[in-house]
Amino acid sequence: MGKRTIIPFGPQHPVLPEPIHLDLVIEDERVVEAIPSIGYIHRGLEKLVEKKEYTEMVYVIERICGICSFGHGWGYCAAVEGAMDIKVPERAEYLRTIWHELGRMHSHLLWLGLLADGFGFESLFMHCWRIRETVLDIFEETTGGRVIFSVCKVGGLRKDVDAETLKKMSTQLNGIKKELQELTDVFMEDRSVKNRLCGIGILSKKEAEELCAAGPVARASGVVQDIRMAGHGKYLELGFEPIIETKGDCYARCKVRLREVFQAIDIIDKAIKEIPDGDIIVPFKGNIEGEFITRMEQPRGEAVYYVKGQGSKFLERIRVRTPTNANVPAMVKTLQGCDLADVPMLVLTIDPCISCTER
Amino acid sequence: MAVFKIGKVILRSLFKKPATLMYPIKPREWQERTRGHIEINEKDCILCGICAKRCPTLAINVDKAGRTWTIERMLCIQCGACTENCPKKCLLMKPDYTSPDVVKITDTFNIPETEKKTGKTSSGSGGAPVCDRETCIYCGICAKQCPCNAIKVDRKEKTWEVDENVCISCGICVDKCPKDSLKID
Amino acid sequence: MSDKKYMVQEFVAVDAGKILETVKDIKDDGYRLVQICATKKDGYIEMLYSFDKDHILKNLKINVPENEEIESISDIYWAAFVYENEMHDLFGVKFRHLVLDFGGNFFKVSEPTPWNPKDKKERK
Repeated sequence: MGKRTIIPFGPQHPVLPEPIHLDLVIEDERVVEAIPSIGYIHRGLEKLVEKKEYTEMVYVIERICGICSFGHGWGYCAAVEGAMDIKVPERAEYLRTIWHELGRMHSHLLWLGLLADGFGFESLFMHCWRIRETVLDIFEETTGGRVIFSVCKVGGLRKDVDAETLKKMSTQLNGIKKELQELTDVFMEDRSVKNRLCGIGILSKKEAEELCAAGPVARASGVVQDIRMAGHGKYLELGFEPIIETKGDCYARCKVRLREVFQAIDIIDKAIKEIPDGDIIVPFKGNIEGEFITRMEQPRGEAVYYVKGQGSKFLERIRVRTPTNANVPAMVKTLQGCDLADVPMLVLTIDPCISCTER
Repeated sequence: MAVFKIGKVILRSLFKKPATLMYPIKPREWQERTRGHIEINEKDCILCGICAKRCPTLAINVDKAGRTWTIERMLCIQCGACTENCPKKCLLMKPDYTSPDVVKITDTFNIPETEKKTGKTSSGSGGAPVCDRETCIYCGICAKQCPCNAIKVDRKEKTWEVDENVCISCGICVDKCPKDSLKID
Repeated sequence: MSDKKYMVQEFVAVDAGKILETVKDIKDDGYRLVQICATKKDGYIEMLYSFDKDHILKNLKINVPENEEIESISDIYWAAFVYENEMHDLFGVKFRHLVLDFGGNFFKVSEPTPWNPKDKKERK
């Protein structure tokens, strides 16, 4: 029985995009237990419903997180539209799907850069973020903002995109596809990358189901779970199939996310070909009575939006349950028994977005 | 082999020009739709105050007595709600960002007095609207569009009344009336 | 939108004493825990438990009077400790038999139970 020490990981650490605190109980360089604690970035955004009307609340909800910003705006609008039984026009649904997939691409590219930086492969980090700049430029051209878009509104969208811009978007994305293909070949076949990622942090299928994991963390362990299959947005009409790997280690999670980027480019191409003409907003009036729950597939997993109205302009309660919240038990379980040097890799492969977790 | 693949990427990067922009030396090219900052066209403003009510961060202040329109640049989140709701379309979203500074910037604009115009639109310095009962159909559109809820219309009883203390003479009712029955002197 | 399966809303009110049996039945059926949410109301706290199977959500609504304890479901679903500790730190809901009890240190806040303030003063 070796000596036990406690090493604090975080809240500031070079691999973490946002602060989280983990107390690691170490015995001879092996982690025995990991004790998380959060709260460094809690802003109490859900409590702002008491002060902001439900149409203005979109601006607050979008700003919960910069990486998954469009998903939050869409999820909240979908929950309010469901509660008030508003049917959004078809063109608006297609455009929302396109923007959501673009958001998924930029989030996964950001994550890949952070992972490469986490084990010292800095030039891959720079290349990934350079490719991500093209996606951010597309966002700026179509919505007006690079990170926070402010384009989703209850009842539809605020801005329309004309056919010429959509064609230009398609050409730019196909250009990215070639560059990305080269980078993934380099990254995935490299021997040192495989040494660092294969066989680390294995989460079996049964464990993933027991711990209620969400998103790529569950899909890399063989659990078929993707809310896009259930039919939100236009994914079913565009012929969507979830991406599953079975090994359950860090390498498999990395592969799932990379394949999702390519799948996103294909979905956007198809959506641009099939988008119908029409208007993008439908007028509505009234207040919300009753409650409604809806779910979205964010880049990190399944996010739940719960809205409860009380008959006036102000809602009674909003609850956003983000996927990192559901992956924290999976992270705590995989950390038990790993080496101290593997801890940054394991924490990064669940893609922690702590500002979403704590709102 | 992976060495040859990464060799291709490295050779290409050696001979291409860098991807970073030489930012302060070369000025940035803004896109058309970029939400940078808000500008106001002073001669069209009627000081109705709708932009101040719709701003989610309360960055805009409208002083009717002093005839000024103030915006706190650092509070503005460039959402565009004010530009969409302005009845005279005098607010514009320009693409360049507010530059960073060490103090909080507040910009104040003086709104000039305008001559009273004849015809349909109002200048904002008049009083409450007057309804022509001959042409009015009591549809209630003016009451719904009024930002201060100053107009009350009853379709069945055929009554139309306006609360003059609340009315800010913005002229939205005059613009939206389908029968041109409203006028502001 | 309301004809899609995943949009089906099912809210079932359950008695606070019967929570363990209901949740055990739900676990045997193969449901997965999605979230636990608390809303503060006058004199009591309304808890909403959501479970999902095949993209259909089942929600349980439980009213817990203030200062009373409720059974924890972390024996049945281990992942529930995240949500229950968060509810305990923010709202002051007391759980019995929590498997991984952080004792108020999970969510770092500057004053205890900020969403359910102990003093009845009107907060600005």
